[in-house]
Amino acid sequence: MDNQPTAAVDTRYWRFCILMGPVFVAVFYYCWGVLGHNFPPFAPNTPASEVAGWYRENVNSIRFGMVVAMTFAPAYGVWGYGIAKVLEEVVGKDNILVQLARVGAAWTTITLLIPTSFWLTAAFRPEALPDWMIQMLYDMAWLLIDLAYAVTSVQLFALGAGFLADKRAVPFVPKWLAWYGIWVGFMFILECVMPYFRDGAFARSGILNFWIEFIIWMVWVPVLTIYAFKAVGRIERGE
Amino acid sequence: MSTSPANTSSNTSPGFSGPGDSGVWFFIIADMCAFAVFFLVFIAGRIANPELYETSRQMLDLRFGLANTLILLTSGAFMAQAARDAQRGLWLKSRQMMIATLITGLPFGVSKAIEWKAKFDHGLSLTTNEFFTYYFVFTGIHFLHFIIGLGVLVVLLQTATDKHKAATTRLRWIEAGGAYWHMVDLLWIVLFAMLYLLRAA
Repeated sequence: MDNQPTAAVDTRYWRFCILMGPVFVAVFYYCWGVLGHNFPPFAPNTPASEVAGWYRENVNSIRFGMVVAMTFAPAYGVWGYGIAKVLEEVVGKDNILVQLARVGAAWTTITLLIPTSFWLTAAFRPEALPDWMIQMLYDMAWLLIDLAYAVTSVQLFALGAGFLADKRAVPFVPKWLAWYGIWVGFMFILECVMPYFRDGAFARSGILNFWIEFIIWMVWVPVLTIYAFKAVGRIERGE
Repeated sequence: MSTSPANTSSNTSPGFSGPGDSGVWFFIIADMCAFAVFFLVFIAGRIANPELYETSRQMLDLRFGLANTLILLTSGAFMAQAARDAQRGLWLKSRQMMIATLITGLPFGVSKAIEWKAKFDHGLSLTTNEFFTYYFVFTGIHFLHFIIGLGVLVVLLQTATDKHKAATTRLRWIEAGGAYWHMVDLLWIVLFAMLYLLRAA
């Protein structure tokens, strides 16, 4: 445990990295979510002709949205590394939880980039693709982005467990937020049933597997960011 | 038997005076909110299609539901005693009560496995209809909570008699584990009533 005064810690760029979390959420929400018709997504039982038609009519906005979303996907990883630097000041540089938090953030970035490229593929030449193929690309992207939940859970669990080990009188991250992250990691398991349903609460567009799952994760990022910013100030003051 | 009293104030979190750990309580409340949403979704589905839900409900075996309820309540009673013993500093007795909690709780897993297998043998699955979707998903997620609870209990067996840990720390985690185990009980009781007992039509 490394709870000694840490005034000498070089915190240059930390704030920039940590700021990337909310930037990622905002950009991804608009570009991937709104422009790409992913927030909320087409229900799985939407006819292929409707999905394909929407892609053909909005091809340029989808391309723009996916290109920007891919450009900003690494912002999640940058944020994750920034948060992991704060965690280092709680559990020590060599603690495996720090490594897991980093790798969880890095893997999550990959699982955001790859499906986004599938949506972009569907928008690359939609006029030449049959309806079913556009629908297949859309489905494939959703199956990957949802079912890759476990890599983000690695980050959530590692950060949760790590910040709970903070012995300061006022910890960098409050206990409730550390536990909230762990809870979000567990909640993601609902995604396991997503492939079985084309409508209802467990479908990719359903109240449980879309609205609740995505919102609880997207809330966690900015809230943790606020506490991480405060923590950087405290680290600089040697608290 | 060690009798170093732990006192009843186990918590070191500022502003929190309840039993156990404030962070674990946050987790429990968040989890119960999630289950509350599950229940609302189920009720909405039942209102929309009462005949389907009633026909499906009648295909459940009430004996399993009842047995599981009794198993978890018995196990929960032992856990409550374990927490009381820990509050009095009776660490070895607390540990024994947690072993009893484990032994009386384990049949829940066996019963659930038999019940699910019987359903699969009858051709019922996650995708049979909306009722069985909820039945399998909700009881499955509850079962996952049960498995995690068993893991927590195993860790607490070690914690109870760990002389390297302060008495307040030991008590805090035993109470927190007990609160989690009671949540598993409570959620099952609601699931039992909602899935097995309430007539939809």
